[in-house]
Amino acid sequence: MTTANFRAGLPILGVLTAGVLVGCSSVSEVTRERVARSEQSYQQAQQSVGRSEAGALELQRSRDNLEQARAAMDKGEAQQAERFAQLAELDAQLAVSKSQSASARKAADELTASIQQLRQEAARGSSASPEQQQ
Amino acid sequence: MSRSYHLLLSAAVAGLLAACSSTPPSIEDLEVARAVVPQVEASPRAGVAATNVSDARKALDRANKLADEGAKVEDIQYEAQVAARNAQIANEKILTAQAQDEIQKGNAERTAVLAEAREAEARRHAQEARAAEQRASTLEQELSDMRAKKTDRGMVLTLGDVLFDTGKATLKPGAYNSIDRLASVLKEAPDRKVVIEGHTDSVGSDELNQALSERRAAAVQTALLERGVSADQITAVGKGKSFPIASNDTAAGRQQNRRVEMIFSDNRSRVASDVQ
Repeated sequence: MTTANFRAGLPILGVLTAGVLVGCSSVSEVTRERVARSEQSYQQAQQSVGRSEAGALELQRSRDNLEQARAAMDKGEAQQAERFAQLAELDAQLAVSKSQSASARKAADELTASIQQLRQEAARGSSASPEQQQ
Repeated sequence: MSRSYHLLLSAAVAGLLAACSSTPPSIEDLEVARAVVPQVEASPRAGVAATNVSDARKALDRANKLADEGAKVEDIQYEAQVAARNAQIANEKILTAQAQDEIQKGNAERTAVLAEAREAEARRHAQEARAAEQRASTLEQELSDMRAKKTDRGMVLTLGDVLFDTGKATLKPGAYNSIDRLASVLKEAPDRKVVIEGHTDSVGSDELNQALSERRAAAVQTALLERGVSADQITAVGKGKSFPIASNDTAAGRQQNRRVEMIFSDNRSRVASDVQ
């Protein structure tokens, strides 16, 4: 997987970049934890959204933000890393809530349709009975 | 004037910080946040996403404050994005809650519709039963109009001797009216059965009387069949002279004894064919 290679390559790249960019502050443990938490949220969202169309875009955006967060972290840009991590977190939550609302909507619409069908059947049944009596 | 100065300064700062930031400045995020945050705040169901709504408001306030202070565009942008994302999450949670409300109401409605359908079905059955009852009582009414007598054998209608030629089994035209009415009520009530019994007076041999009673009963049966009554509704028997209803000593009594009796089962279930 290219992603796995990419992820594995990142820390090395980060260390190199951090070394080069002395002007930027180095990243604290707090920042690393925040990025890690967002990564967790992203993975959970990925499972929750699955192949659902609703939330797919937000999931992708979460992943992009997560990669930016990692890149910023590797460059030693703490604030940038935290901001991207926060956006990745929010996008993951948005992806989940979008897929949940889509499936709730689908269930509600299906129920409405089934009620309508029942009503139609009932109407047909009651209009058929006078004919039967003749 | 001071605005363009700020812009210049921002551009200069951005240039200096080029190594650490790469996001292009955009104020669109703030406009989006300003539009969506009040929308979710105004929703009557905002309570289901209280934390997101409150986070959205705080971030929007920070973004507005930063914009007022002329802070860096990327800082404004970040807060605006946080505000907009929270508002969107809140919106989705509100939509979910609304859909769940619909599902709850829908389930109740579905139950009600099903119960309604069952009631309608029961009403239809009751209606059909009433119609059947009606048909049965039409027969009852018709028979009593024709002076049928209610007996323990069922409703008994007597066709008198005058409806036949003397010693013959041919129905006179005067009998047709009664036969027509009987045929039509029997067709209306296909579940009712009738036994046709021929009777004679005591004049003449047993064989002759038996044969005559059988032919008279058969004549009535044939007339009913010709008018479309189903064969399995009718049984015809000859009883000869054994069951007089009056004295055979007088002419009037003998005339009463020469008769055809039609016995109707009093209910659709019971067949009153086992007469003697």
